[in-house]
Formats: sequence, C-alpha cells, structure tokens
Amino acid sequence: MEKPNRRINYKKRRSYQEFLYILPFLILVALFSYFPLYGWRYAFHDYRPPLPITSENYVGFKWFNYIISNPTRVKDILRVLRNTFAMSGISLLFSWFPMIFAVFLNEIRCKPYRKFVQTVTTLPNFISWVLVFSVAFNLFGSFGAVNSILQELGWISKPISFLKSSENVWFRMWLWLTWKNAGWAAIIYLASITGIDEQMMEAAKVDGATRMQIIWNITIPSILPTFFVMVMMNIASFLNNGMEQYYVFQNAFNQDAIEVLDLYVYNIATSGTGNYPLSTAISMLKSVVSVVLLCGANGISKLIRGETFV
Amino acid sequence: MKRFLSVLLTLALLLSLVSVSAVAEGGKELLTLDVYDAAANFHGEQKGWFGKVVLDKFNIKLNIIAPQVVGNEVFATRAEEGNLGDIIVCDKKDMSDLLAQGLVRDISDKLPGCENIMKFKTQIDVYNKGLTGEDGKYYGIPSEMTDTSPTTLTDDVIYSSPMLRWDLYKEIGMPDLANLDDLLDALKKIQDAHPTNADNDPAYALTLWADWDGNDNMIGIANVVQLTTWYGEKIKQSAILKPDNTFIKIYDREGAYYKITKFLNKAFQMGLVDPESGEQNWDSVMNKLQTGRAYLMWYSWETGFWNSVDRLNDGTAFIFIPVADQLYYADADRYYGSDRMFGVGSKVEGEKYDRIMEFLDWYASPEGLTLQHAGIEGLNYTVGEDGKFVPFHDDALMANLPVPDAYVGEDGVVGYNDGNNAINQWIGSSICMNPNTGERYAIKFWDAYKKITMTEMKKEWQEKFGAEDAVAYMKKNNQLLASPSVDFTPAPDDNDIAALRVDANKTLCTYTWQLIFAENDDAFESLWDAMIEKMDGFGYETLYNYDVSVYQVEADAKAEAAKAVQ
Repeated sequence: MEKPNRRINYKKRRSYQEFLYILPFLILVALFSYFPLYGWRYAFHDYRPPLPITSENYVGFKWFNYIISNPTRVKDILRVLRNTFAMSGISLLFSWFPMIFAVFLNEIRCKPYRKFVQTVTTLPNFISWVLVFSVAFNLFGSFGAVNSILQELGWISKPISFLKSSENVWFRMWLWLTWKNAGWAAIIYLASITGIDEQMMEAAKVDGATRMQIIWNITIPSILPTFFVMVMMNIASFLNNGMEQYYVFQNAFNQDAIEVLDLYVYNIATSGTGNYPLSTAISMLKSVVSVVLLCGANGISKLIRGETFV
Repeated sequence: MKRFLSVLLTLALLLSLVSVSAVAEGGKELLTLDVYDAAANFHGEQKGWFGKVVLDKFNIKLNIIAPQVVGNEVFATRAEEGNLGDIIVCDKKDMSDLLAQGLVRDISDKLPGCENIMKFKTQIDVYNKGLTGEDGKYYGIPSEMTDTSPTTLTDDVIYSSPMLRWDLYKEIGMPDLANLDDLLDALKKIQDAHPTNADNDPAYALTLWADWDGNDNMIGIANVVQLTTWYGEKIKQSAILKPDNTFIKIYDREGAYYKITKFLNKAFQMGLVDPESGEQNWDSVMNKLQTGRAYLMWYSWETGFWNSVDRLNDGTAFIFIPVADQLYYADADRYYGSDRMFGVGSKVEGEKYDRIMEFLDWYASPEGLTLQHAGIEGLNYTVGEDGKFVPFHDDALMANLPVPDAYVGEDGVVGYNDGNNAINQWIGSSICMNPNTGERYAIKFWDAYKKITMTEMKKEWQEKFGAEDAVAYMKKNNQLLASPSVDFTPAPDDNDIAALRVDANKTLCTYTWQLIFAENDDAFESLWDAMIEKMDGFGYETLYNYDVSVYQVEADAKAEAAKAVQ
C-alpha cells in the first residue's frame, strides 16, 4: 500500500518542480504580453493627462463608435490598412530574396571578396532609420547626388523629386528595407547552408551536376525548412511592420500611400494636443485584425495540411 | 601599516564631508530643484555659467525636466505621480487642470513679499483672478510680461513682414511693390540675376519647411499661417479672424489662407520655390539662410541668421520692403505675458519653499533679467562712462564664445551658449526697462547699438520710404493693425475636439503642401475643392464653431482694450 502512495507523492513533487522551471517564462509572458493589455482601459475612458482615469469619465465604446460612425474616417482607416497590407505583403512576397542572396553569396569562390560583400551588406542593418533617411536625402533629394549627376550629364533640366513623389512608394520602401536588412537576414541562411552535408555536394559533383543543379537540387531544398520558419515569423509580424522607416520617409506628398497602422496611431496620439483614447482604440483594431489573420492562416493550414496550429 | 592606512582613509573621508558642508554658505545646504519646464530645449542639470551664478548665489542646482526633449509623456507620468516638479513652467492652458489635480501650490502668502515680481502686480492680479475668481489668491506668475502697456508696440519691426536683401533690391532698381504679384516679379528678377549663392549652391526666392506645421494654436502649415498676417488676418486654431473682428473658415476662398497658398503656388509655377521645400527640415533651411540661398525672409528673427553689423555696413542685409496693398497684423507688447506661466509644485514645503520664492524673485530682478537678456558683463557688453551698456561680443551666443574665468563652474563648461539659462523662459520680457541703465534690457534698444547700426543702408532705406523704421512706416501709411495684449487663456481641448482637430490639421497640411506644388491653376482649384470635401467629412464644421465660440471672447476683449485707448 505504501509504495504507490509514495510514487504519487514523488510524481506530484516532480510536477511542482517542473512547473517551477517554466514559471519564470510564464511570468515574463504575463509581464510583457498580458500586462500591457491593461493599457487598453484608456480606450474606454475620456482620458486626458493630467486628469486621472475615474469611473466618471468611463465612456464605454464611444471611441469605437467614433471610428466607424463617420464614412470619411472609415475610408481613412481602410486606406491605412491597405498600405499596411500592401507593404507587408510585398516583403512577404519577396521573402525568398535573402535566401537566394545567401545561396549566391555562398557560391563566391574568392574568399576576401565574399567577406567584403557580406560585411558591406550586413552593415546597413546597424544604421538607424534616421541615418538611412539622411543618406536617402543626400542621394535622392532635389539637390542630392543623383540629381546633380543627371543634371551634369544634361539628361534632365529640372531635379526629379524622388522623395516627394508617391509613385511606387510601396516598392521603394521595400527596396530600402531590403537594402538595410538583406545582408542581415542572409546570415541565418548562410548558417544553415554550412549545415548541409558535404558528402551530398561531393556526390553530386562526382555525378557531374552543374553548379546550378547543385543549388537547385541540394542547397535550396536543404534550407527550405529555415525559409518556412522565417516566413511564419514574417506572417506573425504582418501588422507590426514598424513605423520608424515610414515615419522618417513620410511627407505631405507620399503620406497617402506610406501611412501604415502603427504610424497612423502615432500621428493621431502625438499631433496637437493628442488623443490617447482614440489612438488606443485604433491600435486595438490591430489586435482584431491579427486574430482574423491568425484564424485565416489556421484555416488554410487545416485545408492544406489537415492539421491546425491553434 | 594597514591600521595606519585605514585611519588615514577614515580621516580623509571625514575631511571631505566637512569640506562638502563648507560649500553651504550662510548655513544653507545644497538644494537641487526639479524644474518642470515646457519651454526648455535642454534636459538635465543646468550647466556652465548660469548654473554657477545660481549655485554661488543660492547654493541651488537646477534639474531641468524638458517635455520638449524627452516627450510629452513625461507630463502624463509625473502628473500621475502627483509631483510635476518644484518649479513649474507650463502652458497657461494646462493650469486649470493642474489646479484641479492639486499639482500647484498656493503662493498667496509669499508672493506679495517678492518685490521684484510684484512690479508686475497688475498683470499677476488679473491672471490669478481669472484663474480662481478670487482676489488675493496667487497660484501662477505669467511669463514675459512687459512694463509698458497693453496697446504699446515697442519693437521697431514686427513678427512677420516681407524682407528682401537691400543690395539685391537696389540692383533691380528699387521698384515700388503694389501687391504680391509685384513681389513675385521682384523676386524673379533677383533669382534670375543670382541663381546661386557665392559658393555656387543653387539659391531660390523661397525655401519652405514642414517641421512646425500645426504649431502655435494654428492648424495648417506654418509657412502659410504666418503669412496671413500680411493681410491683417490672424489664424485662431481652425478659424481666421478678420480685421473687422469677424471669423471665417480657414479654407474660405475669401480668406488669407487661400490667398497665401495661391501666392506660394504662383511662386512655384514661376520656379521660385526651392524644390527641397517639404522634404527638408528646419536645420536644412537654417543652413540655407546662413549661406544666402533664400531671397525672401518673413519672420523677424530669421534675419538673425544673416544680418550682422558687417552686412549692415556693406548693405547686404535683409530689411523690410513694404507691399502697398498689405495690412500688417502685429501683437502689441505682451503686457499680460506670453502663453506660459511660472508656478511652484504642490509638494514644496518649509525652507525649500522660502528658497524657491527667493530664487524666483531674483529671477525677475534687474540683476537676473540682465543676465537673462543682456548676458555677461565683459563678454556680451561693457558698461560705458554714462552707466549705459555698450555691445561687446554680440556674437557670443551664435559663436558659443568662452565666458570669463570667473563664470566657469565645477563642470568646466566654458561656452556661453552651452551654459546659457536652460529654463528658456523669463518672468520679465526683454522689452522691460532696466532701472540701472535707464534703457531696455534687449540689445537692440541700446543707444550704443543704434549708433553702430545706423549705417549707410539704413539711411538709404529711410530716404526711400520716408520713415524712421518699419513700424513707423506702417503706422504712417495706415498699414499696421496692432492687436492689444489681453489676459486670455483658452480651455484645453476635450477629447472630442482634440480628435476633430487632429484630422482637420492633418488634412489641411497634407493638401496645402500639394497645393503649393500644383502644376497649374486648374489642378490647384480642384485640389482645394477636394480638401474642403475631406475636411468637412471629418467634421470640420463642429470644430470651427467651437473655435469661434472660444476665440470670440478674446476678440471682444481685444476690441474693448483698443477702444479704451481711443
């Protein structure tokens, strides 16, 4: 009779012990993922600093109604969502680019040159967006290097306003993002390329495979799992495409196309006297859209793979 | 040996403690004051010469908390904690909220004893009465008050007026300008003759920037809203106040916002607008002003980036050139102070309170005001035989010149600008009279300065326009609309109004920039229509009605004050 009892006790103790192992992480999640949700209460009060949040200024769903009750505003928010989806979509669509870049980088035989290319392409990742913009301003501004050269050559008479035009703004933003990130993103693929079994390569070479055939049949399939992980992470941050880049590049001429959700929330919260409840309400929209996206991805996964991940 | 060392170290420690307390002269301990300062452009402990002056005099260190530097969130968090700071410099419109939250202290007991501050008793009484409705209750001290009167205009130039370079204006034959079209023609001639500056960098008639859009209680782009004052129209948030004291909508085609936007667009169509306008920031514009890459200035302080005594002498300085159909709106001396005020934090008690009031009174004293407005004797000025100030290094601030050794403190900061008063807000304005010299504090009012700047160029200007200075010319030709100073503070926006204002401002700014760069008049008009439609869609009407109801009170008070003089 004694033995099983002791075993149960031992099991119990062990489960407590194991729970303690994950406790720090649970606390971290609670602290950094759930506790900030407490800030959502600002959306339900007519909060304005320095006046505190009280039951008197509780207004319920007033600010949510405010967002959807006015057709001009709904149009504005749809525009912002369109920009967010478009720019995130473009980077998702081109997420193979760093992988291909890494593959080709790996093929460079001259080692010093390879190192040089890798360093030069990784470096921009450590530059802040503010500096990237000043580079852009000096290169593509109306008196920037590009315009000066074109004018010297006599190809144009008036400077072209690259930064002021709203044409292809989404694509141009992707180009800047890639310029900044491609080298850095390639690192993870370079690491997984070095993990590929050398024997396969040798065998392929012995069998007379060309370089392209090796890339196509060995290298890329071997790093595809890494690629999918990266794509998954990309989807997860679909709406969090950051605002710094768009903040520094925005001006009155391209704002229509460049304003993403995060930037829109920032612009509303900080311009003039600012409006915390409204910007909180709009930022909550982001969570709603995220849940919709998650359910969508889940549904697709169920359809294709027959299993879900939620 | 070890024991000897430890004894020695203990002794050294004790000695250092003694020497620290010895710093406290007159038994006063070192006090660090938190200054919550909406005007400051510097965050942290006051450095350099001004820090040393305050430390030597009061054994006080100033720790500046600057929302303009670290973000407005600091206001919300500190208010939540219930302690904004020991000294509070904030916008007057926030004051009613601060009072309601108990964040500012009642200073009725000590303020009447501050004789320097109480030189402005009339203004302080009016302000506090408006705040609390009671007599003899004091909570705040308005900033930058003057000792003149609500209807006086002491300055010889006004805040915004068209200014051209005198040599270039002479070069094109000193044409009389009847209207904005003439101004554009004159600018075109200047730009055609000088497409680059001396360093061969491209120069344009106008260079614009977007950084300050929507500031100063005016929606819309800053470069346009300031220029509306050329036609006697002053923008009050979303409404335009006309010279006859009535309001119209900001997008009204009869209003000056339309007129000035159209003017800038015409300038663009004539190739007179710097193509970098709208993508560059203020720093880039400042650089262009300093290097002579812009031919029109419109803020009075802009000339500070170009005009110097040398340039006044060789006639290449910027100066007001009148346009005949204009009516210049100018604020009279700010007798009742600017939009900010000084207060004391509610957590301040006892000796600390006494010392703060003592400090503030000195801050408003002739000694304090001289340091704030004129600078340091032996650096910025010298004292003549008649006791009046004579300009010495008038570039001390711009060139960040080293201060005299006696003003270098423990931190070793020597630059005049580096150690300048970081509070960046004054109780007495620089227009006030200095009882020690019998002249006003600001350098431009000193006899000695006037003598230096009475150059050939100034004489030529006087001969051509038949007046002593810009303000005299405007008065003589009935082109000046001086708006009297009144004690008026609008209530802070509630969230409903704030939300409307954000949308209205954003829409107006975005469209105005596109309007300035419109390719032709048709595109301009259709963009203007689209702007009206979008602003109305965001509920502009409600916002406009609200702003009119608020600012009608101020307009009426101003009309009343103007009538009182007549």
